[in-house]
Amino acid sequence: MQQGLGEFIAAHRGRVGLVSLTAPLISNLSVWGNIALVPQYHQNKPEREARAETLGLLGRFGMEQVAERRNAGLTAEERFCTMLLRAAMVANAVLVLDRPFSILTTVRAGHSLADALRKVDDLIAETHIFDYSWETERYGGLDVAAD
Amino acid sequence: MISVIETVGRSALNSSRSFRQTATFTARILLRLFALRTYNSASRTVFINQFYFTAVQILPLFLIVAVIFGSLVNGMAFQAIKDLGLSDYLGRLLMGFVVTEVSPFVTVLLIALRSSSAINAEIAVMKVNHELYTLESFGIDTLDYLFVPRILSGMLTMVFLSSLFALVVLAVGLLVSSVIFGTGVDAYLDTLLRSASVLDMILVLLKSATFGFFITLIPIGQGLNASEDLTSVPVAVLNGMVKVFLAIVIIEVLSSVVRFI
Repeated sequence: MQQGLGEFIAAHRGRVGLVSLTAPLISNLSVWGNIALVPQYHQNKPEREARAETLGLLGRFGMEQVAERRNAGLTAEERFCTMLLRAAMVANAVLVLDRPFSILTTVRAGHSLADALRKVDDLIAETHIFDYSWETERYGGLDVAAD
Repeated sequence: MISVIETVGRSALNSSRSFRQTATFTARILLRLFALRTYNSASRTVFINQFYFTAVQILPLFLIVAVIFGSLVNGMAFQAIKDLGLSDYLGRLLMGFVVTEVSPFVTVLLIALRSSSAINAEIAVMKVNHELYTLESFGIDTLDYLFVPRILSGMLTMVFLSSLFALVVLAVGLLVSSVIFGTGVDAYLDTLLRSASVLDMILVLLKSATFGFFITLIPIGQGLNASEDLTSVPVAVLNGMVKVFLAIVIIEVLSSVVRFI
């Protein structure tokens, strides 16, 4: 699976928005700083504008109050949503979720994942989930096609 | 005998490899420093934060050290000048020694102790945590985003703080010289201006910027040498700080050679 993921990322280089434990949040940046980093770097978006946009996006998840927190101070769900928003910031994003339940560790993880994806649907061109086949049942709320 | 030769050879090879790595990294950073595409909103944010941490947060401690150091150096030097009857050399002592030699040296030691070690640990921890991979996976060039802004900030910080240190020491010198020699403000300023040399000022600014360049570049390079093991962080910081100290000594010696020979 890891090899397949690596090949997929290489094939879509420049468009991949990766959500994975192997690509953690930057620990010396706040939640909004992590999300705003992509437009600040790639589109040279001014800090104030990028921050305002990020706060608006955090509002979709009711997470404005954690905007200044750093990685260590987040719950699993908040961390996942931050990673998801960061990935959605990539222009014309091909969202790649690498074993999302290793980040979303709560019992209701399946529902949380479906809800979260719906909230960023308009920002993403494609979504691809890489996970082990025995996890398929946990994606109950999602229309998943297994490879 | 053979083992001694092997040890010396291994040590020489390691040193040469390390020097080559630093030289290559220096060349890459210098190229990026002058590339327009390096500068974007994200790298500006890093630059501003780094300048705040390195140059602004340290100010209270830095000013206290400058005042104490200035009082000690000026007090001792001025008293010796008076005892030896060399009061004509007061200006040359202040401008040629305190401003051009002592100020950058004390400043670089303070900044290296405080910020170089922090940068070294930060980069090593980012490497261990796979945060550098995160940047790479989002197409963010670590040279542009992480390294160049920090190095530029280190250079500007050194120029700014060295100049501030020199100004504080000269201000303290005015007080001390008025006590020891009974010199007035006009006479003191006149002495300083007559002893000032434009070439010396340019050299001291260049030296400060060079200090700033290497006391941030070396910790970054050493931080990148950390492995994926947490225990490699202190080793990376230790190696980095030793190399920073060596770089300071080498730059100090080279600048003296340029200035006096």
